[in-house]
Amino acid sequence: MSDLPRTQHIIASGAIAAIGMTVAYISYTQEPAGAFVFPRLIATVFAVLAIWTFAKAVLGRTKVGQGLSGSDMRNLLPGLIVTLVYAFWAAKELGFYTATTIAFFILLTLYDPAPHNAPKTWIKRVLITAGFMAVMYGLFAMLLNVFTPREIFS
Amino acid sequence: MEFLFYMGDVFTPINFGLLLLGTIGGLILGATPGLSPTMTVALMIPFTFKLEPQQGLILLGAAYTSTVAGGAVSAILLKIPGAPANIATTLDGHTMAQNGQGAKALQLSFIASAIGGLFGVFLLIFLTPVLATWALAFGPSELFWLAILGVTVIGTLDSSSVVKGLLSGCIGLWLATIGFDDIMGAQRFIFHPALGGGINVIPALIGLFAIPQVISMFAKGRANVDAEIITVQRHPIGAAFREIFNRKRALGIGTAVGSIIGLIPGVGGQIAGLVAYDQSKKMSPEADKFGTGHPEGVIAAESANNAMVGPSLVPLLTLSIPGSPTAAVLLGGLLIHGIFPGPALFTQYPQVVWPFINSMLIGQILMCVFGLMIAGWAANVARVPRAVMAAVVLGLAVFGSYSVQNSMGDVYVMASLGLAMHFLERFGFSAAPLVLGLILGPIAEANFMQGAMIANATVGQMTYFFTGWLNWLLIVIVIASISYSVWMELRQRRYTTKEDASA
Amino acid sequence: MKKWIAGAVIALTAMTGTAMAEGHGDYPERPIMMMVSYGAGGATDFQARIVTMTAGNEDALNMPVAILNKSGAGGRVGWNWLATQADADGYTLGAYNVPHFIAQSIEGGVSYSTDSFEPIANWGADPAVFVVGADSEFNSMEDVIAYATANPGGLTFSGAGLFVGHHIAALQLEKAAGVQLAYIPNNAGGAGAMRAVIAGEVLGGVNNLSDAFRAREAGTVKILGVFDVERNSFIDDVPTMMEQGYEIDNASVNYRGVMVPAGTPQPIIDHLAAIVPTMFENGRVASRMEAGGSPMHIMNRDEVLEMWAQRQVTLEALLADL
Repeated sequence: MSDLPRTQHIIASGAIAAIGMTVAYISYTQEPAGAFVFPRLIATVFAVLAIWTFAKAVLGRTKVGQGLSGSDMRNLLPGLIVTLVYAFWAAKELGFYTATTIAFFILLTLYDPAPHNAPKTWIKRVLITAGFMAVMYGLFAMLLNVFTPREIFS
Repeated sequence: MEFLFYMGDVFTPINFGLLLLGTIGGLILGATPGLSPTMTVALMIPFTFKLEPQQGLILLGAAYTSTVAGGAVSAILLKIPGAPANIATTLDGHTMAQNGQGAKALQLSFIASAIGGLFGVFLLIFLTPVLATWALAFGPSELFWLAILGVTVIGTLDSSSVVKGLLSGCIGLWLATIGFDDIMGAQRFIFHPALGGGINVIPALIGLFAIPQVISMFAKGRANVDAEIITVQRHPIGAAFREIFNRKRALGIGTAVGSIIGLIPGVGGQIAGLVAYDQSKKMSPEADKFGTGHPEGVIAAESANNAMVGPSLVPLLTLSIPGSPTAAVLLGGLLIHGIFPGPALFTQYPQVVWPFINSMLIGQILMCVFGLMIAGWAANVARVPRAVMAAVVLGLAVFGSYSVQNSMGDVYVMASLGLAMHFLERFGFSAAPLVLGLILGPIAEANFMQGAMIANATVGQMTYFFTGWLNWLLIVIVIASISYSVWMELRQRRYTTKEDASA
Repeated sequence: MKKWIAGAVIALTAMTGTAMAEGHGDYPERPIMMMVSYGAGGATDFQARIVTMTAGNEDALNMPVAILNKSGAGGRVGWNWLATQADADGYTLGAYNVPHFIAQSIEGGVSYSTDSFEPIANWGADPAVFVVGADSEFNSMEDVIAYATANPGGLTFSGAGLFVGHHIAALQLEKAAGVQLAYIPNNAGGAGAMRAVIAGEVLGGVNNLSDAFRAREAGTVKILGVFDVERNSFIDDVPTMMEQGYEIDNASVNYRGVMVPAGTPQPIIDHLAAIVPTMFENGRVASRMEAGGSPMHIMNRDEVLEMWAQRQVTLEALLADL
C-alpha cells in the first residue's frame, strides 16, 4: 500500500484533527453548559478519533483513500470554479433560472468532448440547455410554485 | 376482512382516476430531488379541499405509497436520495446503474417496494391493535438506546475502514448539533447566518451524495467517451421476479426490519432503509459484495422503506397521534373533512378509512406496474454523456435543496457539504455513516435529555435507562452489534474492497 | 430613548409609505408567501393552510397564498428568518404564535421582538389544557396538586417545549399553586408531548385544547382544566383553572394570526389589515376550522396590537422570576 500519497493524507487528517479539536474547545467553553453536554461527548470522541487517524497518517499506516492526483485537479478545477460561483453567488444575484442557464451551458461547453469548432455541436448544446431549463421551469415554477429569488432580467 | 367489502369503492371511475393520478404524480414528485414524501403529501392537501373525504384520502394514500418508491428512481439513476429512506438504495443501486444494470436495479427496487409495501399495509389491516401497544412502548429511554444502536452500525456501514467510518459518523453527529438546540433553544456552532436553522437533512443528503459525484465527473475531464460507453443491459421483468425470490433473505430482512422500525414514532422512516441494509449485509455470506452493485442491497433497502408505510400510520389511526411528519400531514387531510382519527374511526367512517387503506394496497401494485414499465427506458439515463449528467445533477441539486424551504442558506449548506465530502471521499471517508450520524444525533440527544429530566424527577438516571425488558433487549443488541464489528475487524483487518473495486 | 427611536421609525415608515403608495396601487400582483415557523402537519400549519385557502377569491386578496414551512427550535428559526432575512415588500407574510415569540424574545438569544413585526389579524385562540392519561388516578386539578405537594418536583408533565404557551401555562400553574413541578419539554412538539402522556411516560401534560379535544374523543386522555379565563365551547364540561381555585389568566392561550416584517409599506399593511379579517370570516373557512376542532378567534390589527402589548408586560413579569 505504498502508493497512497502520505503527505496528502497527513495534511487532510491534520485538517480534520484541527477541526475536531476546535469543536471540542468550543463545546467545553461555551455557555449554557446544559445545552452543550451532548456536543461535548461527541466532540471528545471526534477529536480522539481524528488524532488517531492523523497519527496513522504520519506513521504511514493509512490504508484507504487514494488522495488527489494532479491531472484530476487540473480537470476538475474549471468545473469547481463554475460550481462555486453558481451556488454561492450567481443563483441568488442573477436569479435561479438565469444563473442555471449560464452555468449549465458553460459546464457543457467545458466538459463536452464534442469539438468546439463545429457549429453543429454548439447548436446541440444550446438545445440541451434549453430543454433542461424548460423541464426545470415546468417542474419547479409551474407545478410546485417555488418562489425563487428574482431574476435579473425581469 | 372488512377491507374487501370496501374494495369496490376504489374502482369507481372517479376514485380509480384519482388513484392513478396520485400514483403517477407521486412517482414523479418522489423522484424530484428535494421533495420528500412529507412535502409531496403536503402539496397534495389543497387538492383534497375540493374533493369528498373518501376521494381525497384515496389520492393521499396513493401519493404517499408511490412517493416513497419514487425516491428510489433518483437514488439509483442520479445518486440523489429523494429522502432519508432512500440513502441505502444509492449504495448499491447507483453502482448497478453505472455498470449498465440500471434496468435491473429499478425493477428490483419496484418489486421489492411493492412486496414490502403490501406486507406493511396488511400488518396495518390485521394487526393494528397489537401494533398500537408496540408504538407506545418506545419512550425516551428506549429511543435513546435505539439511536445508540444506530450509531453502532455507523462503523461498518459502507466504509472500508472502521475508524474512518466512526470518524465520519462523529462528523455527522457534530453537524447535527449545529443551530438552535431543540429543547433548550440555545445557539450552538452557528458560524454563519445560513446555519441558524441548523443543517436540514434533505439539502445535506443532496449535497453529500450528489455533489461529490458531479466533481468526480469533472475530474475525468473532456476525455473521449468512446472509451467507456455504457451498454445498458436489457433485463426481462420475469428475471427480476425470479431474482427477488431467489434472494429471500434480503427481502425478508428488509420487510421485517421496515415493518418493525416503521412503527416507532419519529424514528422509523428515516433509518429503516439503512438498518435493513446493514443487517442483510451482516447476515449475508456475500457481505463483501455489498457496495459494489449487489442486488441484495437494493432489495433490502427498498423493501424496508416501503414496508414502513403501513405501520407508520398505526399510531395515527388508532391513537390519533401522528407518528411521523407524513402522518401529521395526513392527519390534516382527515381533519379538514371533520374526521377525527381514533379507535372509533373504523366504526364511524368505514367508508373513508377502508378505501384509504385499500388505495395504499392498490397503489403499491399500480406503482410497481408503472415502475416496471418505465424501468427499461429510464435506465438509459446512464447513457447520458458525462458532461450533461454533471450539469443536470448540479442544477437539480441547487433547485432541489432550495425548494425544501425556499432558503438560499440550504443551497450554501448543500454546496459546502458536497465539496467537503468530495475531498473526504478521496481520503477514505464515506457519506453514508456521516448522514446516519446527522439523522441519529438529534434523536439520541433529545431523548437522552428528556429521559434524564424525567429520571431526575422520579427514579434516577441509572434506574430509568436500565430498567424494562425493551431497554435491556436494545442494550443486548447494541453490545452484539459492537462485538460483531470488532470481531470482523480483527478477523479480516478489512483493508480495501469497495474503493479498489470501483476506482 | 427606546420610545424616541420607535417614534422615528414609525415616522420614517410613514414617509416611505406615502412615497411608495402609488407604486403599490395594484398590490398584490403576484402570489403571496406565508411563512409558518412549524413543520407541515402541525396545528399552526394546518390552520394556516385553511384560513388562507380563500385568499385567491376576488373579494379577498385576489392572489393565492402559498405556505412555506421553516421549522426548528420552537419557532425561533422561522421568526429569525422573517425578522432578518425576509423582504418587507408585502409578499412575505408570517404566521405568529403568541405567547411563543414574545416569550422567546424576552428570554433572549433571538433577533426579533414585538417591534420586528407588524400584526395584520388574528385567526385563532387555542387555550392550553391540562391532560392526564385515560386510566390516570387523577380526576381533578386538586388531585394533581395534592400529588405534587406530596412529591415536590416529582410530578412529571410534558409540553411542547421551553418558552412556548405550554411552558408559560406550566409556570403559571407552579406559581398559582405554590408547588414545584417537573416540566418535560418534548422535542417533537405538541404531538410528541401528547404521546408521552398517553404512553404513561409522564404523569400528565399541558397540551393544545384542539389536540386534547381530539385525543379525548379517541378515549386516550382526560382533560382536567383549561388555562383560560372562561370555559371553551368545545369542552364546556371542563372547568377553568380559576374555577378550581388557581389564579391563572389567559396569558398562555396560543393566539395564532398573520403578521408582516416591520418595514413593510404602510399602505400594504392597511390593505392587508382591511382584507385579511374578512377572509377569516368566510363561511367555508369557519366550517373547516370547526370540523377540525380548531377554535377560531378573529381580531383586527388594532386589537392584536393591544394584545401583543399586554402579553409583553405579563410575560416580562412572569419570566422575570426564572
